[in-house]
Amino acid sequence: MKRLLIASTALSLLGGAALAGGHVTQEKNEWYKAAQQELKAKMAVAPITSKAKNIILLIADGNGVGSNYATRLYQGQQKGGYGDENVMFKEQLPHLALVKTYNTNAQTPDSAGTGTAMHSGVKTKAGVVGVDETLNRGDCSAVASARVDSIAEILSGQGKAVGVVSTARLTHATPASAYAHAADRNFEDDSKLPEDCTTPDIASQLITAMDKGIVDLAMGGGRRHFLPKEATDEEGKNGKRTDGKNLIETARSSGVQYAWDDVSAKRLKLDGSPILALFESSHMKYEHDRTGEPSLAEMTEKAIKALSNDKDGYFLSIEAGRVDHASHDSNLHRTVTDGVAFDEVVRVAMEMTSPEDTLIIVTADHEHALAFNGYCGRGTPITGLCYGINADGEKHTGELNLANDGKPYSVATFANGIGSILSEGGQGSRPVVTQDEAVDPDYVQQALIPLDYETHSGEDVAVYARGPWAHLLNGTVEQNFIFHVMMQAAHSH
Amino acid sequence: MKKHVRKISDPDRRHLLRTAAAFGALGLLPFHPATAQDIPSLKLRELYTKALDFSRKAQELEGSIVRIRGYMAPPLKADSSFFVLTKRPMAVCPFCEGEADWPDDILAIYTQRTIEVVHFTRPLWVTGELALGNHKDADTGFFSKLRLINARYERA
Repeated sequence: MKRLLIASTALSLLGGAALAGGHVTQEKNEWYKAAQQELKAKMAVAPITSKAKNIILLIADGNGVGSNYATRLYQGQQKGGYGDENVMFKEQLPHLALVKTYNTNAQTPDSAGTGTAMHSGVKTKAGVVGVDETLNRGDCSAVASARVDSIAEILSGQGKAVGVVSTARLTHATPASAYAHAADRNFEDDSKLPEDCTTPDIASQLITAMDKGIVDLAMGGGRRHFLPKEATDEEGKNGKRTDGKNLIETARSSGVQYAWDDVSAKRLKLDGSPILALFESSHMKYEHDRTGEPSLAEMTEKAIKALSNDKDGYFLSIEAGRVDHASHDSNLHRTVTDGVAFDEVVRVAMEMTSPEDTLIIVTADHEHALAFNGYCGRGTPITGLCYGINADGEKHTGELNLANDGKPYSVATFANGIGSILSEGGQGSRPVVTQDEAVDPDYVQQALIPLDYETHSGEDVAVYARGPWAHLLNGTVEQNFIFHVMMQAAHSH
Repeated sequence: MKKHVRKISDPDRRHLLRTAAAFGALGLLPFHPATAQDIPSLKLRELYTKALDFSRKAQELEGSIVRIRGYMAPPLKADSSFFVLTKRPMAVCPFCEGEADWPDDILAIYTQRTIEVVHFTRPLWVTGELALGNHKDADTGFFSKLRLINARYERA
């Protein structure tokens, strides 16, 4: 036997020698061949160092590396595969970095601070919009001294058109950070302002920005913050404003086109004249529930067409705002279905632009407290319960893995939130769940720590990029660095 | 064709009322197995179309006793015989907190007795008579399009 082992070792060494000659035993293996092809493709990637005429910043709110993993598998499984092998559109972009998302006063960030970092190039405190860290949240008197310029304001001043698109309210933290300056993200309309606050509310700031030509196109939700509380909107819902102002009428009277549903959206002229579209009283619907309003990809297509009329180019900030909301509700199904809808946005942006003149950046503002259990076999539904690994093949065994309590468990769980297995008194045990129940669109993932809303986490997010100066996004970067890459791309000679 | 649905009969009502009396001190009432078996069980989302109109099933079951699974939203007021059933757990009472939003697909529940609050994360089965049409609650001003009336509930 010992002699046989020695003989095998000698053969292996011979194999190793063969590698130096350009041949390896596994070179016909499909994995090997695919990796060789990828190697050639990556070796052909050359940095683009021309000036970016257009810049598109795509943010999926709350869609960190883990959440994105869930969406990748869900999208792949919807196509009929195991899921793991799926390549999303954003994952086809050639440049990638990891992003540190903390706020200056928060290990776990919020979207106002992270949005400000990306749009203005400086980290700031949690909960504040378009101001630096010298401002303490809620202190209206400090807005003027703490104000920072956003890339939308800067590039608009240099002649570019600007668009802001979101499935959340347009006055919500992320889209607001593109155009507004507020001591508190909750100052969405005047009813929330402190009595002595002289800084206008966020909705008013958007209309002013449109009037000044800083923002040319705004599409999303949040109609209620533009209407007085006495007024009802097209869907019978009341406004929130207490100053009696109808900001939609203000915009229309100054020549801004307006749409409120999918039908009126189709009538919008995409000729470069300004557009305000408010498709819901509050946030737009989740993709799973969507009816009567355009998808984020449809809004993106309209925005690119409209903004492309500007000969100087455009800056377009797009947010998939409800990925975050679904995770706050511990409902992974809507997290991933809105995540897939966001990837459609990336596809549209890629197909409608050229990497030679358009910088596309795809990222998230922060991650959620989402974790993945093991050991699950391939093809296990990513929103469902964990099946065992099949030692004799690829696909899972079809047998549910059981935990030490004798019960099956889901692949994905949230660390905290409304799915907590603990009762109000702190006692509890895990309910037994069937696979059908777990993959139901309304299923709430199990969690440990009981909280009314599942939380963000401070984990890194990824940033994917294509186009001029996209290669600067590599390694591990601070979130505010994204702004500086966009500025370099817009101004390089 | 209208699907045949067994509607509650007077003997059934008497039986349920007797059961209610027996467990009246509790907000959570068990059901007689023979009665529960015949009652259609459905998910809350089956009552609405995607466009948030009444589903065909909801229209067929109007006036019938149905059993629906959901969660008790934090009640609008104490000592009430009214609460809102949601399809997923909801931490806040949007009626109480102006900035929060009710989901569009909810079900107003009018119970026979003063409700015993169940934590919003605990699933319930609610049984009652399905009523369709616009209704404004006299006490709370809550507007509803779909309701279960004379309802009882138990933990799922």
